[in-house]
Amino acid sequence: MSTTENILEVHDLQKWFPVRSGILSFFRERRYVKAVDKVSFNVAHGDSLCIVGESGCGKTTLARTILRLVEPTGGSIFFRGEDVLRKNREEMREMRLKMQLIFQNPYEVLDPRLQIRTLVGEALSIHNLVADEEELKNRVLKVLEDVRLIPSDDFAGRYTHELSGGQLQRVCIARSLILKPDLIIADEPVSMLDASIRTEIMNLMEDLKREYGLTYIFITHDLAQARYIGNQIIVMYLGRIAEMGPMEEVIQNPQHPYTKALVSNVPIPSPDEERQRIMLPGETPTPIDLPPGCRFKPRCQDMGVECGDEEPELREVSPGHFVSCWR
Amino acid sequence: MAMLEVDNLSTHYYLAKKPVRAVENVSFTIDKQETLGVAGESGCGKTTTAYSIMRILPENGKIIGGSVRLGEEELTSKTEEEMRKLRWRSASIVFQYAMNAFNPVIRIVDQITEVMMEKEDISEDEATKTVAALFNEVGLEPSRMRDYPHEFSGGMLQRAIIAQALSCDPKLIIADEPVTALDVIVQNKILDLLRKLQKKYDLGVLFITHDLSVVAENCHSTAIMYAGNIVEKGTTSSVFKQCLHPYTYKLIGAFPSISGPKKRLEFIPGTPPNLLNPPSGCKFHPRCPFAEEICTTDEPEYREITPGHYVRCHFAGELNLEG
Repeated sequence: MSTTENILEVHDLQKWFPVRSGILSFFRERRYVKAVDKVSFNVAHGDSLCIVGESGCGKTTLARTILRLVEPTGGSIFFRGEDVLRKNREEMREMRLKMQLIFQNPYEVLDPRLQIRTLVGEALSIHNLVADEEELKNRVLKVLEDVRLIPSDDFAGRYTHELSGGQLQRVCIARSLILKPDLIIADEPVSMLDASIRTEIMNLMEDLKREYGLTYIFITHDLAQARYIGNQIIVMYLGRIAEMGPMEEVIQNPQHPYTKALVSNVPIPSPDEERQRIMLPGETPTPIDLPPGCRFKPRCQDMGVECGDEEPELREVSPGHFVSCWR
Repeated sequence: MAMLEVDNLSTHYYLAKKPVRAVENVSFTIDKQETLGVAGESGCGKTTTAYSIMRILPENGKIIGGSVRLGEEELTSKTEEEMRKLRWRSASIVFQYAMNAFNPVIRIVDQITEVMMEKEDISEDEATKTVAALFNEVGLEPSRMRDYPHEFSGGMLQRAIIAQALSCDPKLIIADEPVTALDVIVQNKILDLLRKLQKKYDLGVLFITHDLSVVAENCHSTAIMYAGNIVEKGTTSSVFKQCLHPYTYKLIGAFPSISGPKKRLEFIPGTPPNLLNPPSGCKFHPRCPFAEEICTTDEPEYREITPGHYVRCHFAGELNLEG
C-alpha cells in the first residue's frame, strides 16, 4: 500500500487522550480529547509541507505521533515504505536517526554545560556512527560550516550562553543534519526569533534542503511564514484536516470556510491595503464531546442541513487540493 | 496639543555599576485618538520606553534624562506617591501575557474593583456595577465576572485586561504586545475592540509590538526602534512606503506576506548590538550596507526629513532604498 516516491504516508492516524475526571468516572463513559482524529496525508520526497492551525488544533501532537514520541491510538504510518508502528524500541531509535525533530525553543533543548562540539556530535557517538575521534571532529566542523557557523572551530569550542538565539537554532539544525536525515520535522522553528533573524534561518533551511536532499514538515501557526517556506500545506482544525493541497492554490483560493477565515485574518505588512475580513463567531472549543456532523459547524457562516449529521470526509476539489466540507 | 509628549527620554539599567543604554534620546508625541505603533526587535527598548512613561521600571532602571508630559503633567519629576495616583487614572497599561496578568486565585471582578476602589472614592457596589458595564463593553458576559482567571480563554482574558485598563477612565493606554500570544482570528477581534474603544473614549494608544504586519494594519503612525533609539518615525503609510532608514527598509523586507508575489526575502546580517557596549557612531553601522566613514564615528541626529517624518541617519533621503 505504500509507494517509494512518498517518503511518509500517514493513514487515519489518531491520538485520543483520555480525560481524567473525578472519582465517579468509573461509572461514566470515558471521555477523550481527540487531539488527532483520522488524519491521512502523504509527503513526497523533496516536499516542504507546512501544517498550520491555531493553538490546540493538534499540529504538534501530530508531529510527535509520527515520530512515536507519543503513541498513536489508531491508524498507520509508513516511513520510506516501512511500517513505523511495527517497530520495536530499538528499531525505532534507529529510524529516528533518519527522521529528526527540531523544536521551537533552542534554549530548552541544548544543555548549557556542554560545548557546541559535544552537542552537535553527541548523536554520532551515542549511535557509534563514527570510526574515531578524528572523523567525529571533521564531521562536526563540516556541519557547523554547512549551517554557516563560521569559523566552525571557534564555534565548536563555545558554550550555549555565548551564542545568540538564531545561532543556537542553527546548532539545533546542525545536530539533526549531522545524522544525514531524510525527513526533518520542525515544530515552530523560528517563532522565538526576531524578524531579521527569522528570515535568515528560513533561507538557510531552504538552502540546506537542496544541499542535503531533505524533506521538511513545518509546524507553524503563521500562514505568511508557511507560504514563504512551504510548497504544500495542511490546515488543521480541532484535530482534523480541514483543507490540504499545494500552498499557493490553498492560500489564493481557499475552499474550506475555516481556511477562508484564517487567510483573511493574517495581517500583511503593507498599510492602506483594503481587505475583507471574515470574522468567526466564538472561539475554538476544546476537542472533547464534539457535536455530531462537521466539527466546524458551530462557527461556520455557510452551514447547510447536510452538515448536521455526518462528518465530512476529505474530497478532491482540484488536482491535489482536498477539502473536508460538504459544500 | 498632543496629549503625550516624550522628549529626549533616556533610560539606563545598571548592571554592576555599568549602564545598559536601553533607551536613548527617544522623542515622540501621541494625540487623542491616535495610535502610535512602536516596533522593533527584542531588546530594542520598546518595553523600557513604556515602563519609563509609567515609571514602573525595575529597581536598577533609571530615567537619566528627558521629559514625559502627559496632558498638563510632567511625569519624570513626580514622586512615587503622586505616580500611584496617576497610574490607571491617567494612563494604564495592557500587558503582553494575559494569562499572567491576573492573580490566579482571586476572582476577576475583585481584581478590577480593587484597583478602582484604591484609585477612586467609590463603594464596592458601584465598582461592581461599573465592571459589569465594562464587561459588556469589551464583549464579555457580565455573568462571568465572578469567574477565576483559569476559567477564561486567552482571548477572554485579554478582553478582561482591557476592561481593567479602562476601569479608571484613562486618557492614554499603553498596550505592550497585547495580541502577540493570541491566534490570528482572536487577535483581530481584540484589535477591532481596541479601535472601537479608542474612538468612544477618545484614547491615545501607544502600541508596542514586534510584528510589523500588525503595525501596518492598526496604527496611524509608526516608530521603528533599534538599539535604544527611534531610528524612524512618521505616518504608518510614509514609514512603510517611503522608508528612509536602511534598518526600516531591511526590516520590512524581512517580513513574509500572504499577498503579492513570492520572492526570496532578505535578512539583516549580524545581530543587534550589546547595549552595555554599543558601537560608536550610528549603532546600526556594523550591519548597514550603506555605512561610510562618518557612520562609524559620529552619531547621527534625529532629523525631520519631510514634514512629520523623522529619521536618525546621516544619509536619510540620499540613499536609494527602492520599493
